[in-house]
Amino acid sequence: MSDNSGNGTGFDFEITLDGEKVGVRRGESLYEVSERHRKEIPTLCYDPRLEAFGGCRLCIVELDGARNPVASCTTRAESGMRITTRSARLDMHRRVLMEMVASENRDTDVDPLSGYASQEMAVLLDRYEARTGRFAGARSGRSRPDDDNPFILRDYENCISCYRCVRVCAEQEGDYAISVMNRGFETQITTEFEGLLGDSACTFCGQCIQTCPTGALADIKALANADVPGETEKTRTVCPYCGVGCAVDLMSRGDKLIGVQPAMDGPANEGALCVKGQFAFDFVQHPDRLAYPMVRGEDGELHETDWDTALDRAAAGFTAAVEDHGRHSVYGVASGRAPHEAAYMMQRFIRGAFGTNQIDNCSRA
Amino acid sequence: MPLFGYAGNYDGMNTPSDAELLAKWREEPAPLLPLLHEFHERDGHLSENALRAISDDLRIPIADLFGTVTFYHHFSRDPGGYAHARVCTGPICALQGADELLAAMPNAHAMPCPGRCDEPIPVLDRDRVLCGTTVAELAARPSPLPPAPHPDIEECVFAHIRTPGRATLAGYRATGGYSGLEDALCGRPGALLDAIDASGLAGRGGAGFPTGRKWRAVAEAAGEPRTIVCNADEGEPGCFKDRALMDYDPHAVIEGMIAAGFATGATRGFIYLRYEYPDTMRILETALEEARGDGLLGADALGPGRPFDLWVRRGAGAYICGEETSLLNSLEGQHPFPRNRPPFPVTHGYEDLPTVVNNVETLASVPHILVHGAEWYRGLGIGDHAGTKVISLSGDVARPGNYEVPMGFPLMTLIDDWAGGVPRGRKIQAVTMAGLSGGFLAGEALDVTLDEPDIRSKGSFLGAGGIMVFDDSRDMIEVAHSAMEFFAEESCGKCFPCRIGTQRLTERLHGDGPPDIGAWIDEVHDLGDTMMQTSACGLGQAAPLITESLIRYFPDRVSRHVAESA
Ligand SMILES: Cc1cc2nc3c(=O)[nH]c(=O)nc-3n(C[C@H](O)[C@H](O)[C@H](O)COP(=O)(O)O)c2cc1C
Ligand code: SF4
Ligand code: SF4
Ligand code: SF4
Ligand code: FES
Repeated sequence: MSDNSGNGTGFDFEITLDGEKVGVRRGESLYEVSERHRKEIPTLCYDPRLEAFGGCRLCIVELDGARNPVASCTTRAESGMRITTRSARLDMHRRVLMEMVASENRDTDVDPLSGYASQEMAVLLDRYEARTGRFAGARSGRSRPDDDNPFILRDYENCISCYRCVRVCAEQEGDYAISVMNRGFETQITTEFEGLLGDSACTFCGQCIQTCPTGALADIKALANADVPGETEKTRTVCPYCGVGCAVDLMSRGDKLIGVQPAMDGPANEGALCVKGQFAFDFVQHPDRLAYPMVRGEDGELHETDWDTALDRAAAGFTAAVEDHGRHSVYGVASGRAPHEAAYMMQRFIRGAFGTNQIDNCSRA
Repeated sequence: MPLFGYAGNYDGMNTPSDAELLAKWREEPAPLLPLLHEFHERDGHLSENALRAISDDLRIPIADLFGTVTFYHHFSRDPGGYAHARVCTGPICALQGADELLAAMPNAHAMPCPGRCDEPIPVLDRDRVLCGTTVAELAARPSPLPPAPHPDIEECVFAHIRTPGRATLAGYRATGGYSGLEDALCGRPGALLDAIDASGLAGRGGAGFPTGRKWRAVAEAAGEPRTIVCNADEGEPGCFKDRALMDYDPHAVIEGMIAAGFATGATRGFIYLRYEYPDTMRILETALEEARGDGLLGADALGPGRPFDLWVRRGAGAYICGEETSLLNSLEGQHPFPRNRPPFPVTHGYEDLPTVVNNVETLASVPHILVHGAEWYRGLGIGDHAGTKVISLSGDVARPGNYEVPMGFPLMTLIDDWAGGVPRGRKIQAVTMAGLSGGFLAGEALDVTLDEPDIRSKGSFLGAGGIMVFDDSRDMIEVAHSAMEFFAEESCGKCFPCRIGTQRLTERLHGDGPPDIGAWIDEVHDLGDTMMQTSACGLGQAAPLITESLIRYFPDRVSRHVAESA
């Protein structure tokens, strides 16, 4: 970023933020500048990864010289602007907006397993003491219990029409699987011709779930574990499936893995995952998964055994194959589910022990 | 009437194929809306196959196209839907028995005001407008001309509108048309900009922004090609002035657009016309053909080698598409949510390039300014107010219609002296301002002059100049309820305060609010205050003027309403 002011701060100009002069880089929004100074401006339609939309209007700030408050997410900071991020008037509008939003939904509180951002609305309802029940009236949004896909709950009775899901699908995933139909209070998140997600362009990446601020879109697989006892613990790791290296937070209770959320600050993925990283974690604790060595007996069935026996059998098989067909008859493939260390060991072993370079990894694509 | 069993606009052999329709429009500017209309009219609805064909051809994701189509009220997705008549149930037609007419017509749907409030109830039957208060009466007829002007007053945009033949190129030229433009084209664009500046001409579409400043901003903005957009969406209930101008003086609008093109360096333009004006569509197309044939449009329109051309694009039933940035999204084939501003259309308009968006009346004033000069135009207004304003007057007045008044003219003189006052021996109870967007004026506030400063001092605004009159027999709660229902149905759904607020205010006017008057008023004020101050565009900011003025002028009626619905 240029520093035209030559003051060595990396900023291009200044604005006055709650009475204090602060530096701004050209192109920054009032919201971005305020966030850097921890003003904690409330938002519901904002996701820092997406183009600012200006729908929820909670991020309003007072701008000197403007008759009405302005939305800080869509207003670019300009040199000399004077803004106020907190005032009685702003608090009043924010509270009324939250009361309005609460009035259109069936539930105001959802299980945090619903998705990464699912508590945003509830947190703001508490912060603005907006659980007053005022503005009661018709509710908006039709849920889609008929959509029997195994991953994404489409509970639009809890939708507040922030369109984060539609925008993340277009801007981040590039799938354009979902869109907004109708208008006004009748707006509804939809797929082409109101069909099921499985018949649409959806790749089940799960990003819409993770950005939804109300849990209207929710992670069915994680919610299936809602009754598992214990506190949810999050462990940061890297998705094992492919070479991109998406950072994930594994959610567990006790010894049980209950779900996966993308790491919003993952350097490779910034909150994105694909269907495998997001949803395909059942194998970890699946009863069919091998937990001990087995060898095939005379009867043709697999039987549990000890490691020495199993390794001897494998070595004998490899030796026979190389003797009969040469060293290039061996080809090693590391599992995408194996950790990097195991993949490394595999290639050392194939190269060193057999003398062939025929190695691969199932995630190479 | 042939309202039933309609399967499309073509009879077998001449029906164009998908491929033919796509080939016809693919390379045209702003092709989505005309393509949707072609398929809609050919098939009688917009089928899944049609949308998939358009989606593939124009490379619009199918989910987006589907969502966008559902935004427009006139696009039917049900077979035969195009042929289902639409009956106006707007505020004026409601007074004339619109609900009964609607009930008497099987398969008909209600529609908001289609800009024919100076006639019996209009019914939109495919591409025709019929008028009448009963099914038997319904007949197509040309839209009304403005009533005869007051002899002491000099008109601007209506000066020649009643001259027969003015709508043709020959008739237009015979009354001085295109002479101002031809003179201007011999000069410099800067001189034209100076003249428009000096005239004091300001936007007649609602916001009143100085036209000269807008044009200059586009002339100075970086980026080409530049575009002139004529906003002919006229969706505000009770507004029908642009209809009169386009139906009887289309060349004045075209001349104004060419002048704007010359002044700003634009090479192309669009007239974005509301769907409910099918006759106007044909009149404009004819006028454009004549102008093109005469070299007024085309490759050398602004001088040798200096092209300028115009296209008409029809909306499809969405009031918000009159808001200029929603209009631009609609033209571009995007979902018609308004855009965030700044940046404004003067720098980031059509296709993100510098664009003038002007109202029909604004543009139609320009040829008169070119002929008579800036001083003349400025002097037409009363006192400091520049120019004239067309007022669409409707409702409980003896002679409804479009009246061109000097800016600063007293409202009650217009109603009583020009339009014959309130009929049937009744008294005036209230008027609306800016169609519905300005809310109500009543009582002493009716003593107002027709200019923004005076009307704003009463908490309202002049806007596009639609004024509806309600006599003392009318139920203002009912009027307010149907007004708010209009805003709720037309809210685009982009921002929370308007999407939810218009719905909640409608419910409270319907009788579904809190049963206690104190709580009712608190809720309505809080909703209104937050809508006015935080909504993303003018629709949500203006809608609560209905409830605020209702509470201000009719507190007893409001108390009774709350008590009755408790
Ligand atoms: C909800 C809404 C509807 C509008 N509808 C119209 C319209 O139908 N025609 C129009 O000229 N302007 C309309 N406007 C105003 C336009 O946004 C814009 O200000 C105008 O077209 C500019 O032209 P002017 O400067 O010549 O008035 C509308 C504005 C809003 C907020
Ligand atoms: S899961 Fe991914 S592809 Fe599917 S709708 Fe959500 S964001 Fe779009
Ligand atoms: S489903 Fe969730 S993310 Fe999508 S619009 Fe509704 S509340 Fe917003
Ligand atoms: S104020 Fe209403 S019409 Fe305007 S952007 Fe918001 S929701 Fe849409
Ligand atoms: S034409 Fe019916 S209210 Fe205007």
